[in-house]
Amino acid sequence: MTITTRQQFADTMLAIGQENLKLVVMVGDIGHGMLKPFAAACPGRYYNIGILEPTMISMGAGLAASGLCPVIHTIAPFMIERAFEQIKLDFCYHKLPGNIVTVGSAFDYSNLGCTHHCYGDFALLKTLQRTQICFAASAVEFDQLFRQSYQNDFLTIYRVAGQSHCFDFAAKDIIFGKAIKVIDGSDVTIVATGPHLRTALNACEHLSVDGVKGEVIYVHTIRPLDTELIRASVAKTRKVVVIEEHMRSGGLSDDVLRASYDIPGMKFHSVSIPDTFVTGYGTYEQLSASCGLTTEAVIDSIKKWQ
Amino acid sequence: MNTMANISGNTLNKDLRKKIVDMVMAGEDGHIPSAYSILDIITLLYRDVLNFDAKNPEWKDRDYFILSKGHGCLALYVNLHRHGFITDCDIDMFCKQGGILGEHPDRTKVPGVEASTGSLGHGLSFAVGIALGLKIQAQKNRMFVLLGDGECHEGTVWEAANVARNRNLGNLCAIVDWNQSAMQLMPYDDMPKKWEAFGWDVQTVDGHNEKEMLDAIHQIRFKIDGIPSVIVAKTIKGKGIPLIEGHGIWHHRIPNTQEYQQIMEALS
Repeated sequence: MTITTRQQFADTMLAIGQENLKLVVMVGDIGHGMLKPFAAACPGRYYNIGILEPTMISMGAGLAASGLCPVIHTIAPFMIERAFEQIKLDFCYHKLPGNIVTVGSAFDYSNLGCTHHCYGDFALLKTLQRTQICFAASAVEFDQLFRQSYQNDFLTIYRVAGQSHCFDFAAKDIIFGKAIKVIDGSDVTIVATGPHLRTALNACEHLSVDGVKGEVIYVHTIRPLDTELIRASVAKTRKVVVIEEHMRSGGLSDDVLRASYDIPGMKFHSVSIPDTFVTGYGTYEQLSASCGLTTEAVIDSIKKWQ
Repeated sequence: MNTMANISGNTLNKDLRKKIVDMVMAGEDGHIPSAYSILDIITLLYRDVLNFDAKNPEWKDRDYFILSKGHGCLALYVNLHRHGFITDCDIDMFCKQGGILGEHPDRTKVPGVEASTGSLGHGLSFAVGIALGLKIQAQKNRMFVLLGDGECHEGTVWEAANVARNRNLGNLCAIVDWNQSAMQLMPYDDMPKKWEAFGWDVQTVDGHNEKEMLDAIHQIRFKIDGIPSVIVAKTIKGKGIPLIEGHGIWHHRIPNTQEYQQIMEALS
């Protein structure tokens, strides 16, 4: 049975929490139901701290300073944006390790409006030293990425997607810091992160009808970015389109461009959220379309280069 | 180490006050009145209260001390120096390129400093995390954190106060430097009542009176599962030097030669 990425978060906490007695989970008044098994199996290591995200972040850093392994979980904007200074100083400047797991990726909470959106997180977090950023859009990705990175010396932020890309990755193919070549091609590189992998795959399929061979690279680790694989692909195709649920400024697109700008003749296009607030309501798919995150947008950008 | 026999009333640590002024003169920067406000408290803590090993600052059984009002760090530096955490050279290099001592304490540079503070409103929340971590691990270390009263304008202070009480962090003792900085902007400032309202055990003492401070600390049981304690320490900003006492231009002022002589005479 397929489970959601968020349910996998709870399941992974339960599994690791029973093996690693230093794992402590703090939540900001969300996720209590799914974390009940963890709370029961790991007494004294589960805390619903309350609605006070800056202090929860500082407390997480304090837990790390006392020798424990903190996992802090709540809705993305309230941790990444409201508590940014606590992340910056109490974790990053102090050189303390820890883990932040966010839900409410980009505009996943589509009907809750701008207060609950967060699509500038990659840009913000990349300004901080000692951060790692993952974007998991399937259960197996979260489980593998967390297991491989939660105990290292960095602060790792796991953005948990509410939607899945529906691509069935094998656990062995998920390697922290390594992008995945999902489709091999020679004419254009399409780099995707998050649920919009499926948009990239759809575009690739449509392009193939016209004889355009797209190469699709999936990125689950935003930082450290697998620039080697991306650069090798762009060196081959000389054309790259990036699709991501992030503001145009500071997201994966910028890093892909930085990794490949000096390849002679390369062409670049970003299918991302315009640098503005997403003010509409509706479904996730409808908001994606309103931001231009569509199969058609990817295809059109490529056809202009033909 | 001083003995209890030495402790009676206001001792005014003149040698350390002189050292602070000398550091400010040499470094051409620093907050003298903020440091003088808390110097007697920190000196007492390091001399008679805290368990530590200066040769092994990360000793697992140490008591933790966080100076949340980081701009008072000169009071911490002179005590870290007195107890062997830092050297004469470190003191001489205050606010100089290549030194480890700046105008706010830095955990990544200074042995014995548990938190890099300066941005107000972080220290108590960080301390609550450490206290919770110690409790989870059933460790008996004590957690002390010194806050400014102006710093208590920050909302995070009260977020943390709320959590600490509700998580029964009896291993935590906050000390508030109640020098009335906060009242300049917000005159309704009954500091003890605020902490009482959050359910903490509250004692109010003269922060320049070592006996009162020590008696208050001895009243705290530091139970790992108990009520957190706060000592509201009534202090005087710039304590000991009439020229700089109170709130005004001296907050971040470097003495000129004449003023330096006046200060030193007052401390002689």
